[in-house]
Amino acid sequence: MKIVLIFILLFVSACEQKVNPKPKPPIQTHLGKKFTYYQAGQLRPASSGMGRQGDHYIYAPNIRFPLESAPAYINSQVYGIGGLHGPRGSLCDPRNYQYPWSDNYCETRTWSMPLCPAGTGHQGVDIRSSTCEKRKYYAVAVEDGIISYIGKYTVTLRGVSGRKYRYLHLDSPTVQVSRGQRVRRGQRLGLVSDNMGKAKTSIHLHFDIKQTIKIDGISKQVYVPPYASLVVAYKRLLQGRP
Amino acid sequence: MRLLLLTVFLFSSLYGESGILEIRWPKPNAKHQKPSIPYPSVLTKGIKNTKLPVYLPTSYLYDKNMGVVGEKDFYTISFTLKDATLMVSGDRTYQESVSKNDPKFQALAKSSSNIEFIQEEGMMSVDFNRHGVNYSLLVECDNPETDKRCTQEGFLKDVYNRLIVVGGHP
Repeated sequence: MKIVLIFILLFVSACEQKVNPKPKPPIQTHLGKKFTYYQAGQLRPASSGMGRQGDHYIYAPNIRFPLESAPAYINSQVYGIGGLHGPRGSLCDPRNYQYPWSDNYCETRTWSMPLCPAGTGHQGVDIRSSTCEKRKYYAVAVEDGIISYIGKYTVTLRGVSGRKYRYLHLDSPTVQVSRGQRVRRGQRLGLVSDNMGKAKTSIHLHFDIKQTIKIDGISKQVYVPPYASLVVAYKRLLQGRP
Repeated sequence: MRLLLLTVFLFSSLYGESGILEIRWPKPNAKHQKPSIPYPSVLTKGIKNTKLPVYLPTSYLYDKNMGVVGEKDFYTISFTLKDATLMVSGDRTYQESVSKNDPKFQALAKSSSNIEFIQEEGMMSVDFNRHGVNYSLLVECDNPETDKRCTQEGFLKDVYNRLIVVGGHP
């Protein structure tokens, strides 16, 4: 059965390549050119690491975008302008606050990440809010669920799907939910900030998705790629149906 | 066309499947599950409906200020430590069921260790599987760059080694 399946997949893949020999352009557009984005797994700059290219699977379908309002910008904090390994400049440089988006899941880190090509990498994506102002923009629940944990600078939402969504760097005094509270999709959680305890970080929301994958009877928890799910969610937000 | 439909069917059988994991219940330890000094009511009440083995470290069992979120299929219990928070959680659900031959997940299938300590964004965590259930421990620090609990495995290893089943029922 498995051999048959592999054969079918290879056959379909070959057919698709014949029908559609041109690769997709690196930058996708939406709503004219209002929103542009690099494909999932294409990290920018290229020196920021090796992304999970070719994986366009939407691991968390139908989630709401985790920031209440657009525009928002997914790009590298560490390798962006003013970042630790980025070009000199201000973290608030306008170029950090413009499209196209670029994935930063799997961006170079030393942290174990089996789904990243390097085996290590960033466990989620970093999202900048509309402007470089802290305590102004709300992070919201991406699906109905329960607040399972609130830490020093982390809020964890366990969705009804069983996925765990982590929101890092929210401003602690503005967190509007409590541990054990049931929340609805779109409900405000807290304001985006640069909170990382006594350590420094930039103003952004780190968002990641941890889920359990059963592989031939053995189950494992893993941080899955959130970028493709967020692109779809953001398009819905732009179209006014978050 | 038939081929495409068949492929869609096969894909749908591989992806998107979610459900409840089968639990291999451990042999009950009466001393742990009915201790001479009763566990705090915040714990016993919080996990009364939880249908998976509830593990907690002996070091924090009697902390009356623990935060308990206990549901049928998962629990998360957190403790406020000096300049840090500790979280213990278990979950019996899965969100994807895939074949180990799926190239997308082969790397994951190969990382077959049953216990993994993971450095995270200013935190340290450990994921492990017992009785078919997935558990996590996580410590988050006020000072994530210098607090050894969040930069080295030692603290969580000690917590891990002190885990006992304190509740949960089939």
